[in-house]
Parts: sequence; C-alpha cells; structure tokens
Amino acid sequence: MAEFRNRTPVTALVVGLVAFAVVAMVVDRRSAPGGPERELSGWTGAILDIAAPVQKMIAFPFDLTQNAWRHYVSLLEASDTNAGLRARLTALEEENLQLREALIASGRLARIAEIRADFEVPMLPSELVGVDPSPWFRSALIDRGREQGVRSGMPVISEQGLVGLVTATSTHAAKAMLLLDRQSAVDGIIQRSRSRGIARGRGTSDLEFEFVVRGSDVRIGDVVISSGLGGVYPKGIRIGKVVSVSDPGSGLMQTATLVPAVDFGRLEQVFVMLRRGPTMEMLYPNEQQDGLGAIASEGSAP
Amino acid sequence: MKRILALLALGVLAPMIQGAIGTFIPLQYCPDLGLLLVVGLGLCWRSTAGGVLLAAALGLIADLLSGSLFGQHMLMRIFSFGAARVCSRQLNLRGAMPRMTFVVALTVVTALGTGALTSFFGVGRGVDGEMLRDMVPHALINGVFAPVGVWLVEWISSWLSEVDAGYQVLQLRTRNRLS
Repeated sequence: MAEFRNRTPVTALVVGLVAFAVVAMVVDRRSAPGGPERELSGWTGAILDIAAPVQKMIAFPFDLTQNAWRHYVSLLEASDTNAGLRARLTALEEENLQLREALIASGRLARIAEIRADFEVPMLPSELVGVDPSPWFRSALIDRGREQGVRSGMPVISEQGLVGLVTATSTHAAKAMLLLDRQSAVDGIIQRSRSRGIARGRGTSDLEFEFVVRGSDVRIGDVVISSGLGGVYPKGIRIGKVVSVSDPGSGLMQTATLVPAVDFGRLEQVFVMLRRGPTMEMLYPNEQQDGLGAIASEGSAP
Repeated sequence: MKRILALLALGVLAPMIQGAIGTFIPLQYCPDLGLLLVVGLGLCWRSTAGGVLLAAALGLIADLLSGSLFGQHMLMRIFSFGAARVCSRQLNLRGAMPRMTFVVALTVVTALGTGALTSFFGVGRGVDGEMLRDMVPHALINGVFAPVGVWLVEWISSWLSEVDAGYQVLQLRTRNRLS
C-alpha cells in the first residue's frame, strides 16, 4: 500500500479524477429523469437507502421540539383560531351549496363526473425525511422507493399543490427535485385569464413566472396552475400565487413573481403520483412492462 | 486504514446531518460540513494522493444525496482540497483567523464554480443576485466553523494513528556513548 502510494503520480490521479467527474456530469446531463441511469442500485442506491432512516433519526429531536412548540404553546391561540375557522367553514359550506346548485342547473355535473376518471391517479403517501445538503440546490429525500412503485419522472404533490419531480430512486428511498430548484421549470397558466408561461425556480423561496406572450393579462393575487403542456406534470395542479408583476418596458419578457402554493419550509407529507406524464412514457416506453407499469396503467384513462 | 474509514464514515454522515438539519434551518445558515472536512484534509492529511481520493469520495457521496449533476460536488471537492493544499504551503494557515478567512474565500469560489457549472451544462440558472445574497451568510458561517472542521480532521488523524501504532512493536537501537 505504501509502495503504491509512493509510486502513484499525484498529477495523473488528479487529472483522472477530474476527467471522471466531467464525464459523469456530461452523462448525467444527457440522461433525462426516468432513464435507467437515474434508478440507483448497488452502493449508490445503498447510500440513498441508508440516508432516509439516518436523517429521520437525526431529525427526531428537532421534530419533537417543533411539535411540542406547535401543539402546546400554540394552544394559546387555538380558541381564537377555532372560532375563526368555524365561521369560515359555515361561509364555505354556504358557498359550496350555491356552486353545486349552479353546476346542476347548467348540466355540467354529469360531465364532470364522466371526466373525473381521467384525473384519478394512484397516489403514494410519503414522508419528507431530508433536504439537499447543498444550499445551491433544492431537492428532497423521501422515504419511498422502487419497491413501493416510485420511479424517476413521477410528479410529487401535497394537499397544497405541486411539490416537484422524482429525479432518482433507490430500493426504499427517492430523491425529488423541488419546484424551487434552479433547474426546475413547469409550464403553467394563470387560472383567471388562461395566460401561459413557465414557472422557474430561483433557488430561493419564490418562483419566477415568464409569460409566453408579452403583455399578458395578469394581476396580483392571480392563481397559477400547471398547464399539462410540458407532458411531465398533470394539468390543474396549483403552483402558486402572483405577488408582483414586473413592468416589461422595452424588455422582451414579461415576468411575475410567484409565492409557491406549497409551504416548503413546513413540508412533511407528500404524495407521489404513480403515473408519469406522456413525455416520460414516450422517452422510456419499456418501463411499462414492469410492476410499476401495471400500477400506473390501472390509474390511467382508457 | 482506520483514519480513512473514520473520515469516510464522517463524509457519509456529514451530508445526511446537513440534510436533516436543513428541514428546520435554511441551509445558507448551516455550515457545509463536507467542505470543512475537505479543507481539513488539505491542511492536515499527510499523503496528497490519499487526500485527493478521500476528497473525491466525499464529493461523490454528496452528489448522491444532492440534486446536483453527478460529479459536480466531486469536482468542487477536488478543487477545494487542491486549493487548501497549495495555500497551506504558500501561506501561513496555522492560526484560527487565517483558516477562517481562507474558508470564507473558498466557499465563495466553490459557490461561484457550482453556479458556473450549472449554467455551463445548461441545467439551470447560473450565478445571479439571489445566489450572491445567499453566499454571504453561508461563507461567514463556514468561516466561523472552519477551525472546528480542521481540528476534527487533525484529531481523527492523530488519534487513530496512535491507535494503529499501538499494535506495532517499536524497536530502538541504542548506542552507549561512554564505550
């Protein structure tokens, strides 16, 4: 060993390692999410598998403290919140009733019931156990992997809205790129005006929405939903809300700033949609043959 | 061998600890434990070849747990090790203050490098205002924790060397000066 160490020219070693890193980056750049390279196995998968329970264990005391704070100290405000929520519930029930009546009256309820099957996708509840160790990337580790049917390219959502996309999986864990990541881009539309654009992550807590058409109709408070046009995310999932609109001036692009629908700072539970978008399926059609394909095709529209 | 295994174990644990803490504290306010370990290696590790291999391995582990391109952290860790190695020979990096200053500068350089690589490979935004804004607190926090990181590598290195040496028979030949 000592002889090997003495003989190895350090320069050659460094050059070799740098070349390996560069080639690895080029290969990784070329492989789309969902490709075979993204399904981690062997020692790479083992590290991801180990990371999930270890991170859960490390986070346990922090979780405990945070829960104690939320459950006991926040109880002081519970009475006021309860009264407020009851009032809101009553108002919403009233509104819901009126909307149902309107729908039935217009004959749309039956049509909605028919097309509902298109949106029924099997969902896998999963827990977020850790985030990216680097502050320059926004990804998360979840505690469900290939054995539970998770594959890269599957969308991840929460009850609040769109969370991100699974980018790599191991047997019992998966890595998901969050909407906030600088590499993330989702095709979206303004729910009110149907103006199209692309919601891009900035690596911060908010998103940038670039409009396709300059001078689009957008107002502060508008809700942005996924358009489904990218072929990766399904249509109609909430992305965020417009908080500011930039004046395009003489610039080419009109942009708006969105606050994400999902509170990423408090994200604990997510759902993996066990069906990949058409773009992913076109790229990797053979993946349909395995167990995942069976699960996915059950939830897909005929 | 024990030193290498201990540092590898620490290298595996470092990004996991960071990932777990990151769910409660924004990561720009957390020290980059992997980077601090690599700086420690660059300053204290005896074998350059062994050190660069360890730094590359620590980068590879970080790549697996991060959303970066595979190899991006590895490249940055090799660069960090090289920078620490070269600077420790050219400059006096023995005290706490010089080490803190060095780590602050290295954090900024590696962050810029990461942003440049992301932009070069066309997978996301490059260096922009938001990144620069996050870089400042992150570099300062790394600087504050730099002496601890270096001390940890020094301690593991010396402690496990003693443990290894404990199993070897030490033979000394003495000369009688009077004869």
